[in-house]
Amino acid sequence: MEVREVLNIAILSGEILLTSGSEIYRVEDTIDRICWAYDIKCESFVTPSGIFVSGWALNNANESVSLIKRIRNRTINLHNIEMINTFSRNLQNKTMPYDEAMKILKSIEIAPYFSFIKRLLAAGVTAFAYAVLFKGTFIDGAFAAAISMFIYLVLEKMKKADFSQYFRNFLCSFIAGLISVCAAKFIDFLNINPIIVGSIMILVPGLAITNGIRDALHGDILSSQSRVVEALIIVTSIGVGMGLALLLMKIWM
Amino acid sequence: MKEFVLAFLGSYCPAILFNIERKNLVWAGLCGAIGWAAYKSTQMLTQSEIFAVFIAAIVISMLSEIMAKVFKTPSTVFYIPSLFPIVPGISAYNTVLYIIDKKIAEAAYKGLETLGSAGAIAFGILVISTIFRYINTHNINSKGQ
Repeated sequence: MEVREVLNIAILSGEILLTSGSEIYRVEDTIDRICWAYDIKCESFVTPSGIFVSGWALNNANESVSLIKRIRNRTINLHNIEMINTFSRNLQNKTMPYDEAMKILKSIEIAPYFSFIKRLLAAGVTAFAYAVLFKGTFIDGAFAAAISMFIYLVLEKMKKADFSQYFRNFLCSFIAGLISVCAAKFIDFLNINPIIVGSIMILVPGLAITNGIRDALHGDILSSQSRVVEALIIVTSIGVGMGLALLLMKIWM
Repeated sequence: MKEFVLAFLGSYCPAILFNIERKNLVWAGLCGAIGWAAYKSTQMLTQSEIFAVFIAAIVISMLSEIMAKVFKTPSTVFYIPSLFPIVPGISAYNTVLYIIDKKIAEAAYKGLETLGSAGAIAFGILVISTIFRYINTHNINSKGQ
């Protein structure tokens, strides 16, 4: 197989991994492993916003091929990471022709896993669980669930409309805060704190923080810093959105 | 017991949001619930919020690394949903609340607590992943030779 084709397979797997929220070392490791499976030596450098790979055949080190892939949007899809992981491990045991490998990768890329309704319900139950866990009553939980489902809907709509993730988080936490404030004003027996904490739980940037730490551990300082900063900005935007809603409440009451 | 179930749900459902394979969902939930139990019991024993978070982070990372070994999946799959319950959401919220009330001293105190908890989670993960990474590389080396 040609070097360019192998690198195409490797870089597409790397792209899927990176856009699904994988750590940097896993992306580099997967690219190296796929290239090795086809007896190609390669050197890869991955940052959260781009993949750089250059590779050459073992018996012909003079002609190397380099590819660069820019990564623009990142989501969270742990299922894809698992699929690529098994794909690259299978490839190591038994190599497959170019077309077949590309077909598998394309099918992984578009595979939806849970339907939208299920994810919406999951968002609701998450909010319910945390509202009750933080000493709310069951009615608080139900309110938090409703708010959380609503902001999940807004979040998905805004994701399609291509707003920046910071603005998305800001607006969603602002909406969540506003609805909870209104609800608590008109219905006396609601506790506002558990409702707000429960309903914004789905916005928390858990993945960015954990990945930041794990990247630092593997020596990928560049991406570690950018992820930690990303998490900090997200947290700030959530805090500002919520704070704005609470401030309005203070003025209003 | 009630909290155990809630913490289970609180890791199980984010796991659905993150698109985890169905057979791993239950384990991610269980991991989160055990982490929450560790957090609660340490908090009752020592009265220290940050130390409790640290212990919980250690328990969760250990469980996820072991599960990752058993099920042959990346450990991230278990980490991320099960860390959800111990994320210092409530103290972050309280910080914002105090800032709005112009109680700067309390806000600083809560803010420090939030930062401390986040740092404790980070350090807990760091310790365990380093140990498991050492074990993994060691295994590979001994197999290669």
